[in-house]
Amino acid sequence: MNSNIQAQGKQSTWKKFEAFLNKIGFNPLGLGILIIIAILPTTSYFSQEYIIRWMIMGAFLAAQSVAFDFTAGYINIVNFGFAALLGLGAYTSAIFSNTTPFIAVAPGLNPWISIWLGAIMAGLVGFALAMLTMRLRGIFAAVMAWFLGIALMGLVNNWTALTRGPLGMNPRKFLETTNNLPYFYIVFSMMIGIYIILRMVTKSHYGLAFKAIGQNLDAARASGINPTRYLVFNFTLSAFFAGLLGGFYAHYFGSLTPSTLMHTAKTVEILAIAYIGGRGSLWGGIAVAFPFVFLIELLRSNFTELPGLHLVIYGALMILVMIYYPGGLFGFYTWLKDKFQRK
Amino acid sequence: MAKDSMVRPAAGKSVVSLIKNKLPVFIVAIFSVILFAAIYIKGGNAQILNIFITGGMWALLAVGLALVFGVMNIPHFAHGESFMIGAYVAYFTFTPMQAYLYTNPSKFLSTMAPFGAILTAGLAGLLLGIIIERGIFAPLRHRTKEGWVMNAFLLTVGISFVLSNGANLVMGPNFRGISRYWDVDAVEIAGAYLSVDRLMALAISLVTIGMLWFFLRRTRIGRAIRAVSQDETGAQLVGINLDFIQTLTFSLATAMAAISGASLLFLFQAYPTVGGTPLYYAWYVVMMAGLGNVAGAIIGGFIVAMLQTATQVFVAVSWTTVLPTVVMILVLLIAPSGIFGSEVKGIQES
Repeated sequence: MNSNIQAQGKQSTWKKFEAFLNKIGFNPLGLGILIIIAILPTTSYFSQEYIIRWMIMGAFLAAQSVAFDFTAGYINIVNFGFAALLGLGAYTSAIFSNTTPFIAVAPGLNPWISIWLGAIMAGLVGFALAMLTMRLRGIFAAVMAWFLGIALMGLVNNWTALTRGPLGMNPRKFLETTNNLPYFYIVFSMMIGIYIILRMVTKSHYGLAFKAIGQNLDAARASGINPTRYLVFNFTLSAFFAGLLGGFYAHYFGSLTPSTLMHTAKTVEILAIAYIGGRGSLWGGIAVAFPFVFLIELLRSNFTELPGLHLVIYGALMILVMIYYPGGLFGFYTWLKDKFQRK
Repeated sequence: MAKDSMVRPAAGKSVVSLIKNKLPVFIVAIFSVILFAAIYIKGGNAQILNIFITGGMWALLAVGLALVFGVMNIPHFAHGESFMIGAYVAYFTFTPMQAYLYTNPSKFLSTMAPFGAILTAGLAGLLLGIIIERGIFAPLRHRTKEGWVMNAFLLTVGISFVLSNGANLVMGPNFRGISRYWDVDAVEIAGAYLSVDRLMALAISLVTIGMLWFFLRRTRIGRAIRAVSQDETGAQLVGINLDFIQTLTFSLATAMAAISGASLLFLFQAYPTVGGTPLYYAWYVVMMAGLGNVAGAIIGGFIVAMLQTATQVFVAVSWTTVLPTVVMILVLLIAPSGIFGSEVKGIQES
């Protein structure tokens, strides 16, 4: 009898734990996979520097796709200037942390502080863009975001006194070490943090409002939701995190050029990952990004005579998913779960 | 197509109320006249001619976009890739002809060869349009119409990505261009020298737009296309084959973009991402004029060319992506659905 009570107690702690996990948007399976991913770089095969680089790339793309899906999957507006907002954050942070004489100003802030300035800058531009376009219908907002992205890229290319234009800048790194492992844990924790924050938002009444707006704007308005407020909030938050991730990029790679960072093709890559992962899931992109980076890097290193093959595969997969399996990986997971629970 | 649904103002309505109703159009007209004069004073005849030539090509591209959006509600993002494919096809048909003509010169043939290349590109565009519409949009359309505008937009993004990277894969990143189509001296017009190729590009785009206009206004199938753009269900009820009309519209738009790419081969060399700039300007025109407004797109093409030329004349070429975006923001503040407005059914839905 004693053991029975103990078992019940155990079960209730497990239940409590599960409830807590559920509250911050995890389930035991997801948490397990994340822990495995976190441990992987310390194991012998994965601890090679180039593999850790891939893992960093994977976490970086995954975090981007979470922030992207927050807009695209919930309010059904594709932020087509996502990469440009990311680049804006990267450049702002790089300029504020600059100590070299190559550009006009050298405020020399610590990179750990300047990435927040970059994020705030991207958030402000996202806010302005949202204020301008959110009273229009979705497609206008998407295209305006695209225009804004092109304009920002043009600005970075032309304002050579601050950005050195197409020559690119070399912002200083977060850490002195040349070791990649610490950077992996930085971006990994950024990814988890962004995921938890955005998941908490979407689990609140905000998330419901987002979904309502995304499905039918007029119906949402008729049921008393003020769309502009929610749309602007959503867009700003997503842009803020894009800027933050841009700051990471700047201070990890230590080199920035407009075309490798802000080009529309970069947005399309994120879009493909988020959609194959399943829109409106947030975690779908994370699940897809890691295997994708490995697949792509393997394709790239094995088919050097076919440059850009991985991009074609990206696009083709996205088209196939959109036409024949719009739920993506998330849809597959829910289908599987339903099937098991019914049995 | 906005013209049909426009109600004629009642007789006796004052000029003031007319201006009030069409305020954005008037503001833009006044602004355009001022800018036009300024460009003329600073840049002279050459820049004015430049406006017309650039405007002609943006108009041709934008008309295709507006048509596809108006009839099928597809915000077409792969329009630039049709341009790219047109340029490639024209290159690969024109250079062998040129080589042949080099060994056996013939005046008549060398005048006609460019037309042959451009026409081939147009046909290739038609074929590409049919393949894309039948292979990609028709399955999606038959599966669900829910959230169509956004889904179609993303699909075209995917298509554009696949086509441009596929071209990179097959053709490599090399630039393939020609110096000129017609090997004749430049013509002098009002003190400015202009190559025949540029003049022909303008003529081709005007003739193509004119033919499309005639087709839409005066033929049975054209009427059917306009009917579908106004009301799909109604069109189906009177016996219009929806699938046929949609495939036709899409392939016409693709063919126009391909013709545009082919006739501008001397200016835009064929390479995998050549479609980016034309796509940007075509979208710019369409957003400014009103999504799906075909007549507006023609005028809009020239307005945008004017803005572009003004930036080149007064600031610098490299700013042409920055300043017009600022203007666009202002336009959308005054007239959220474009200067000439758009009355497309799809706008309301998503």
